[in-house]
Amino acid sequence: MVLIKTQRDTLLAPLQSVSGIVERRHTLPILSNVLLEKRGDKLTLLATDIEIQITTATDVAAGEGDGAVTVGARKLQDILRSLSDNAEVSLMLEDKRLQVRAGKSRFSLQTLPADDFPRMTLAEGETRQFQLTQKAFRQLLAKTQYAMAAQDVRYYLNGLLLLTEGKELRAVATDGHRLAFASVEIDADLPRQELILPRKTVLELNRLLADNDEPLAITLAPNQVRFAFGSVVLVSKLIDGKFPDYERVVPATLKNHMTASRTLLLQAMNRAAILTNEKFRGVRVVLGDNSLKLIAANAEQEEAQEEIEVQYSGDTLDVGFNVGYLLDVLNNLHCDDVQWSFNDANSSALVSVPGNDRFKYVVMPMRI
Amino acid sequence: MNSIRRIAHLDMDAFFASVELLRYPELRGQPVVVGGRGAGRPEPAPGGGWRFARLGDYVGRGVVTTSTYEARACGVFSGMGLMKSAQLARDAILLPANFDAYRHYSRRFKAAVAAIAPCIEDRGIDEIYIDLSAHGEDTLALAQEIKEAVFAATGLTCSIGIAANKLLAKIASDLDKPDGLTCLGPADLAARIWPLAVRKINGIGPKAGDKLDRLGIRTIGELAAAPAPLLIGEFGKSTGAWLHRAAHGLDERPVVTTSEPKSISRETTFDRDLHPRHDRAALSRIFTALCQGVADDLQRQGYACRTVGIKLRYADFRAVTRDLTLPARVDGGGDIRRAAGQCLKRVPLEQKIRLLGVRASGLEAKTPSTTPTAARQGELPFDPPS
Repeated sequence: MVLIKTQRDTLLAPLQSVSGIVERRHTLPILSNVLLEKRGDKLTLLATDIEIQITTATDVAAGEGDGAVTVGARKLQDILRSLSDNAEVSLMLEDKRLQVRAGKSRFSLQTLPADDFPRMTLAEGETRQFQLTQKAFRQLLAKTQYAMAAQDVRYYLNGLLLLTEGKELRAVATDGHRLAFASVEIDADLPRQELILPRKTVLELNRLLADNDEPLAITLAPNQVRFAFGSVVLVSKLIDGKFPDYERVVPATLKNHMTASRTLLLQAMNRAAILTNEKFRGVRVVLGDNSLKLIAANAEQEEAQEEIEVQYSGDTLDVGFNVGYLLDVLNNLHCDDVQWSFNDANSSALVSVPGNDRFKYVVMPMRI
Repeated sequence: MNSIRRIAHLDMDAFFASVELLRYPELRGQPVVVGGRGAGRPEPAPGGGWRFARLGDYVGRGVVTTSTYEARACGVFSGMGLMKSAQLARDAILLPANFDAYRHYSRRFKAAVAAIAPCIEDRGIDEIYIDLSAHGEDTLALAQEIKEAVFAATGLTCSIGIAANKLLAKIASDLDKPDGLTCLGPADLAARIWPLAVRKINGIGPKAGDKLDRLGIRTIGELAAAPAPLLIGEFGKSTGAWLHRAAHGLDERPVVTTSEPKSISRETTFDRDLHPRHDRAALSRIFTALCQGVADDLQRQGYACRTVGIKLRYADFRAVTRDLTLPARVDGGGDIRRAAGQCLKRVPLEQKIRLLGVRASGLEAKTPSTTPTAARQGELPFDPPS
């Protein structure tokens, strides 16, 4: 029975958008599979790792009948990807095997029953919904996600805090050494609610969202969140935990303010970073009248010095930082100038964008 | 690695025993065993010369460190208990180990090789790998030159194996011992390597060897013929794949010229098995001394460690190890003793103990001024989570 007959890209694109979350090695074999479900002209693809589920749909030239099956996601993707761009592909279901045919190529893949495929049930209880553009949410993530912890024992840091309050959506990420905060306006007026998105969900969303003004609908449920955009629906479980109170660590008063061109600062830091100690990546930031010096040295006693002109009239300061934490923030902003504020060499510093209170980055110094 | 490499493995012949023979040349041609702790020190004999101890007179628990080829002919090999080996060669001469002398000759032979071929990986007191790829000369002539230089500097012979990688070079150096020189080309794999026992591959020890034996795989050739999926199924992905590659003579490991130590350890086998409770005081004293010894080694070599571990061998020869990783690096005897004490609390202490060891790993070099250790990343002042 020919299930589908279509152009390669009609299948490959939706498959790639769901298969990113498929784990290569999993205790449950069916989780390496993707569910293909065909009804009429519509093909629905679904993948899951139990924590996240991604569904997408595409129109395909009608085959003979309807059907549903699960098949190895990576294998199917590798096959489609290695076919020529304009290849016409047909999928056939024959005796529990999925036959993939294109030109003179034949592939026979084993399948597992669609009924066995685990699906996340939609959470019961009160839900709230709001909408913003894909671009706005993607930028919110881009400005904060790099500060997430990766494998911290404080498991709630291995994710990103989303917080709604009034007409504002805030995102906060921290690994305990630095913290990134960004906010954006939304179309609903919501009570205060916090949730922690798992790291993998954040990275996946960042991969899937487009940089355009198409809408993204977000539905918050008690222990689940749902993102609908384009033809994709992503449902993710949440990290059950209490995110630390980020407002406590954003310094309220700062006395020394420096303003500099983001690009100049970034370039100087990239150069200085070459000779920082590979493990600790410490760089000394020396501030004087309208001047900022960067000094880096590595274990082999090699040394780099950079000096750039900045606007600064505060105390003379000599502060150490992990250069990686500074590069992260400078790389993920797109403004012309950045402001960098300090109290002294031992307390947190604040990186912000002049005239924009929707972004804050707090970073602790490093004693070098 | 695109171009074919030329890697030499140089192994000193019966190194410790040979160094002893330099000192006591009158023992040449006799079975000589080096081992034990201090026992058997030669005494000046009346009328000149030395009076040597005989293996048959030894009482104690020491093991053979090295034996001369004459002693090996009687069946006495490194690692054997001295009293057990005495049953095989009663009249063999016993000499105590003299590590200062071995280190001295070790430095000399390495310096002699380095003068000819500087790309050397130090593999211990008596063996090195040498990367000869960059040398233009004929391989055999170069190897002969190295052997002569080693002999000129030390009066000792060595065996050299040369092949396309470290794995094969190591096997090759063992093919024609002592004073051997073996050069393996691509065609020699099937003829000279495959008939050898799998245990000739450096990395296949008793456990893997026994397991292969149960699978009916005894020679390297049989291992090469075994399907890779079978090996991966039996030994896991990385070991299985490695076995398959090793049997086909494949090994891409580079010759690593500067090596940082991975760990520093001290251990001791007791003169008699000690009981955790009844011999508590003695054990505690030895334990503290071992920790101090490790601390001394660390400080002398300029390292501090993040992980402290202990090793125990019980009277029934079962061994256990325990590790503890510390929040900050340490190099002091007291700190190491405390961490090792924590480890000791995690092992069962019901039966007598034969051996105790302390090990420092996770080593970090202490370099002055820009020292990474002084670098300390500040923490954001969140409230501690309730």
